Amino acid sequence: MSSPALGVKDLSVWLESKSGRKQLVDSISFSINPAEATGLVGESGCGKTMTALAILGLLPAGVKVESAAIEVNGRDISRLNATQRRAVLGRDIAMIFQQPGTALDPVFTLGHQISSVYRRHTGGGNAHIRQTMLDSLESVGFSQPEEIAAAYPHQLSGGMRQLSMIAMATVCKPAVIIADEPTTALDGSTRALILQQLGQLQAQHRTAILLVSHDLAVIRQSCRKVMVMYCGRLLESTDCQSLFSHARHPYSAGLLACIPQIGSDRPPAISAIPGQVPAATNLPPGCHFAPRCTRSEQQCRQSVPGLNSEESKGVACFRPL
Amino acid sequence: MTQVPMRQETSQAWQRLKSDRYGMSGLVVVAIFSLIALCVWSGLLGQGWSDVSGNRWEGVSSTHWFGTNLLGQDILQRTLFGTATAFEVGLIVTLASTILGTVMGALAGWYSHSWLDEAILWLKGVLDSIPFYLFAAAVAFALRGSPWAMHLAMIITFWTTTARIIRGEVMRIKQREFIEASRAIGLPGLTIIFRHVLPNTFHILLVQASIVFVAAINTEVILSFLGLGIQDGVSWGLMLAESSQEVLAGHFGNFIAAGTSLFILLMGFNLLADALQDALDTRRATG
Repeated sequence: MSSPALGVKDLSVWLESKSGRKQLVDSISFSINPAEATGLVGESGCGKTMTALAILGLLPAGVKVESAAIEVNGRDISRLNATQRRAVLGRDIAMIFQQPGTALDPVFTLGHQISSVYRRHTGGGNAHIRQTMLDSLESVGFSQPEEIAAAYPHQLSGGMRQLSMIAMATVCKPAVIIADEPTTALDGSTRALILQQLGQLQAQHRTAILLVSHDLAVIRQSCRKVMVMYCGRLLESTDCQSLFSHARHPYSAGLLACIPQIGSDRPPAISAIPGQVPAATNLPPGCHFAPRCTRSEQQCRQSVPGLNSEESKGVACFRPL
Repeated sequence: MTQVPMRQETSQAWQRLKSDRYGMSGLVVVAIFSLIALCVWSGLLGQGWSDVSGNRWEGVSSTHWFGTNLLGQDILQRTLFGTATAFEVGLIVTLASTILGTVMGALAGWYSHSWLDEAILWLKGVLDSIPFYLFAAAVAFALRGSPWAMHLAMIITFWTTTARIIRGEVMRIKQREFIEASRAIGLPGLTIIFRHVLPNTFHILLVQASIVFVAAINTEVILSFLGLGIQDGVSWGLMLAESSQEVLAGHFGNFIAAGTSLFILLMGFNLLADALQDALDTRRATG
């Protein structure tokens, strides 16, 4: 088996403030192979975006990251200094943001913004940079890249902006792309288009993609593997098919049950998981999901079930389904 | 290569400005006064401002279009020369205080709530709390009547407003996702400030600079009127100071010439600044 494009080992994120330390992400480990898409799913506020930002080293001041290693193509980027890290960001590992409208600088044309990324990391003559920029726009499906290159972000629709963001993220052909809710702000058909383009690029450049989303439908459409996150911990890591056919963690099963079923003859009840995500200051001991879990017993409230991440499938539960 | 779309956008802004009648009349006024200032600087106009070319208080005639003053100097020549003085003060003060205010404001906003921000805010608070004309007098005294004392006093006090506006704007902009995105493509902090934060404040800076320009010309007139301003040369303020005695004697030449010039130039500049603000705002214009 080839070495993974992205390998994360024991990543923890702490928020340090005067009132104490809060753990936002609790030593998670995973790896993504080249040309593979992995979904990271969970409810809002469970640490998905924190994980994504921590991998890039872009967390705000006051947030501390501890990790054994974050390897991109076998190179540990967690120990790099600021200058070395900046050389890696955008070239080897790129990010696609949730709001394509606000993630682009409003005062520059898209062509300018995309080519400045390439110029910064690769360089070359102006004609070469422009050609690369146009190729990149064409590769995400724009038939007339010159027009898009000359446009300002506000002149494009949300879907076109997001495609341009993808063009910007892929212009240096990075090994890893982290997409943080890339389709949440878009409508259904645009979402399908974006996911399709992402899938094509992934196959074409053998890019590893970490797709962060709270939408299981998006994950199902585009990922082969999926990780379920809750309160900063990975609860289940499996391939997409088995999750949808047989979720083993009660939380995963709860998430699946939240997807409304249209046209099924079951009663039209959308079941919500009872209770709320606990605040990071007030996490229950043992399994964080235990208070909301229908299957929890004494053991769940006292000790933390481990996730065997070395295998391709794992579940952190004492009483899996 | 990125010049092509930029030029397009500039020409769009120009189209929008052209369709604004008030803005265009402001532009014409500012252009005429700028031309006069250029001619004075290159020695084509207003060179006889200190020559005694007539009798005391001559009326309007073909030789003295605006009449003469107490000493028999030609008021038209002095008005033209005063235009150059106003532009010189306006340009120097605007350029220096805008650069200073932008840098200070950007640093304070980017590193907000750090010791640097605290220090800049403290300095701004101190400067803002000193009465301006007292401060101008103190600077003039400290510099032993240097002709640059007035410029310096204005630069030192005018940057604070620009800095305050830019600080707030930078604090707002740095929360936006494209700043995080520019970190995610590996740009260092200072590059982000100059390449992505400050360009987004450009339309505000332009308007603020035009306000400072108008304020500088105004203040120059007041300081010169008080005797704290222009020493070598003549300015509209000095002419107004002269006129304060002449008006009592019933001679309005200096007063009308300097007052009207000041009014027309400032009015034109304000109209132009207003129109520029609308024309340059790409988001509002295209909707």
